[in-house]
Amino acid sequence: MTSFFTGKVSFAIKLVVVLLVSAVLLTLTQSAFAQKEYFIAGFLAITIFLLILTYLSKISIPLKFFLPGILLLVAFVLSPILYTVTMSTYNYKTGNIVSQGEAIEQVKNRGFESDANGTSFDIKIGRYEMQEAILVSDTINKAYFISTVNNRIPLNAADLTINEYGVAESAPNFETLSDADMAKADELYSLKRFKYQDEYFIALEGFEVGVVSRQVLEFDEAKDQFKNVITGDIYVNNGRGNYAIAGSPDKYLEPGWRAPIWFENYTKLFTDKRLRGPLVSVFIWTVTFATLSVLTTFALGLILALALNKPIRGRRFYRSILILPYAMPSIMSILIWGGMFNTEFGAINNLLGTQIAWFQSALFAKFAIILVNLWLGFPYFYLISSGALQAIPSELLEAAAIDGANPRQIFRRITMPLLLQILSPLLIASFAFNFNNFNLIYLLTGGGPRAELDGELAGATDILISFTYKIAFGNSIQDLGLASAISLVIFVLVASISMYGLRKSKVLESFE
Amino acid sequence: MTKKRFSAVGFIAAVAIAVSGLVVPSASAADEIVVWADESRGANLKKALAVKSDWVSGYTITVKAFSNFDALKDAFDKATDASGPDIIMGANDWVPTGAKSGKLAPVTLTASQKARFTPGQLFDLTYKGNLYGVPVDVNNVAMIYNTKLVTTAPKTFGEMVAFYKANKASKSLKAGLCVAGGGMSWGAHSIFSALGADAFQFDSRDKIIYNRSFNGTTFGKNVRTYLLDGKKSNGFLPASDAGCKDNFLAGTVPYAIIGNWEWSDYVAKGFTMNLMPVPGVTAGSYGKMFGSVSGALLTTYAAKHGSEAGAKSLLTNFFGSTAGQVLYQKYEGRPPAEKGAALDATVTAAQRGFGAAASLASIPQIGAFLNSNAGGASYWDSAPAYWTAVLVDGKDAVTEGNKLAAIWRANTSAGKADL
Repeated sequence: MTSFFTGKVSFAIKLVVVLLVSAVLLTLTQSAFAQKEYFIAGFLAITIFLLILTYLSKISIPLKFFLPGILLLVAFVLSPILYTVTMSTYNYKTGNIVSQGEAIEQVKNRGFESDANGTSFDIKIGRYEMQEAILVSDTINKAYFISTVNNRIPLNAADLTINEYGVAESAPNFETLSDADMAKADELYSLKRFKYQDEYFIALEGFEVGVVSRQVLEFDEAKDQFKNVITGDIYVNNGRGNYAIAGSPDKYLEPGWRAPIWFENYTKLFTDKRLRGPLVSVFIWTVTFATLSVLTTFALGLILALALNKPIRGRRFYRSILILPYAMPSIMSILIWGGMFNTEFGAINNLLGTQIAWFQSALFAKFAIILVNLWLGFPYFYLISSGALQAIPSELLEAAAIDGANPRQIFRRITMPLLLQILSPLLIASFAFNFNNFNLIYLLTGGGPRAELDGELAGATDILISFTYKIAFGNSIQDLGLASAISLVIFVLVASISMYGLRKSKVLESFE
Repeated sequence: MTKKRFSAVGFIAAVAIAVSGLVVPSASAADEIVVWADESRGANLKKALAVKSDWVSGYTITVKAFSNFDALKDAFDKATDASGPDIIMGANDWVPTGAKSGKLAPVTLTASQKARFTPGQLFDLTYKGNLYGVPVDVNNVAMIYNTKLVTTAPKTFGEMVAFYKANKASKSLKAGLCVAGGGMSWGAHSIFSALGADAFQFDSRDKIIYNRSFNGTTFGKNVRTYLLDGKKSNGFLPASDAGCKDNFLAGTVPYAIIGNWEWSDYVAKGFTMNLMPVPGVTAGSYGKMFGSVSGALLTTYAAKHGSEAGAKSLLTNFFGSTAGQVLYQKYEGRPPAEKGAALDATVTAAQRGFGAAASLASIPQIGAFLNSNAGGASYWDSAPAYWTAVLVDGKDAVTEGNKLAAIWRANTSAGKADL
């Protein structure tokens, strides 16, 4: 068996596997590089290097076992956290998405205007005296000329071939580009500004039309500012990802770019009244929801586990039935519950003979959420409580009974403390899961009810993560920087609460 | 061969492949224009381009169809220089955010090209004075009435309410009027308008008359008169669009607002397309519906792919031309935006019906106004909440109407600068 891992054949197999994996990663590297995702491309390249170095050399035997885990941890845990941390310090939202260089290019491209009459001409694209040129037809005035970047050469109509629409098809010394050459010449001609008159030029609007325009915004690289050459307005870099008129922050050029604003997204959580109010109420509800969810699911699961821990008739059948809600995809369950809570045709109102608008009232909506989460969560605690109960030595319970303890005392003094010691990490994990239980909120109530007409940002059942989603993706203005900041606050909160819980339960010590 | 040599060979091979792999592949072939569209428009574009494809000299046109409209939007949001399309077929309300974020590029149409569209259609695709594409198809709603329940077209809103009240029990009606297409904000706008709350009104020169738009008090009073019995809903208008289509098709709702993209479902069920705008409170007046357009929008990626001029030519030669829209709408079946195509003999009765309803009472959807969050909320998000607040929660119709009007005013004030 040992020879299987050390022979030449095994090395050849290892080599093939490593090269195959490297080939797949190379494809991904190439794709990332092509899409200018240099960080990802760099990481993949390093991964390939480490894979080859680790598995095709004897540099470290333990590393052969740890490397996949380390790489996956870096790729899917550390990198997203680092990216989120970085973005939380940026002005990164709709309107400030691209890089500064890209933003400058686009402002320049948009910074021209057509002449007052919206003059446009039919054109043909070609070359004149070895230069890129356009053959221009002013069909209204029956005037024709060739235009290069620096010159405008008037033409005599008699010298031209003109079609039935009055458009010149060819001219002496003008070499029209063939159809096959058009695509190749696209970029070159699109960037050219062909001579017209004074400050006006002709720019391509397709291969057939040229529009008379002039540049309005000019970029001064040394001063890092744009100037409107018509009005004289100066747009300076406002340090927040836009070129804006000094003293008039609302007058800025678009698009802007991602720019660091350091801790502003964090301070906004406390200083922006529109954000601070909802954030406090959302936080309170998030903690309440997570706590109630853990308590109710644990309580029901434990009661059922205790009930079925005794030999009763049909125990196996009951156990199977109780696991069913856990076996069903939670998304389906949530949607079905959503239908059952429907005011007009839902099963719950029909059974109760009521007309309760479950999702229009904050109280009823919260009740519905806790109820649905109870349904989704109790099988889990039933399962682990059953297992934990069986792990408690029966001798302890028998000894207590011999000493005269009644069943309630045995449960309170022996069973429950032992159970909690075993289940504490799972209770804390459940709390952390429910703290971020996005699916349930999003699919059942959508965070509502919300008084949109009163300008409320958050709904009554929004938890921190669904509120963050609304800020990041919920409407036409996406504020990814702010959402990243809230995500990190959630991360710190969950981590702190979990650490506190683990310390209190002294579970960590027991593992040491 | 020793292991060391194996290692060396493997390492060298990997490095060689790595170096060759880092050669940047182009996003699209140099002679290719890439168009992104949703599942319906994409599939129909492919059919149209299979019939005739030589719209731009020297270029081939590649269409990528996404599984649905949201997937298309999501892909466009995440597009990169390498992966992004040259042209995207998108909604008019993508224009403000796309332009703001530097994903859409402006186009300049000649006077004759502009004359092919109404000013309102061009308004729809304009942001801060720049046009970002050409209008392709009209998205509008119209009210359809079930002739098995009502024999003649209603002349006033009150007539519809009276019919509902008189026949509710005998005909087992679940509602009088409901919104099947477009949702309780966009789709329901003709009800807002019919009851006195227009998003905006225009003068004869297509200028918006700001001070005459959205009167929350008049609207709220009309809601009290026509939709409420005391503080409770009279059942004529459901607060949500859930189940509307099924109920109308089942004959339990006499009037429904439907979208032009779903008309074939109604035809398939045997309904004739007797379409009209929602009648107003006085005879001869109508609630205005949004007659927005979807457009073929130029992206900034086209310039990066070196196909900007080709993409612009495709916009005007195909997407914005009579021949192109007639060919495309033959498969897509929506009312064409281009005037010549709209008059073409191949346009169907339903396309004409929606067009006729729109011509009686239609206003452009101006994304710069209604997508704004200025004032704390957007009109789009808030309008459905009005129906819930008044028809379900029993809140005062006038008070809530004035709240919605305030949101509208805040959105509009902020949006004026973006036109």
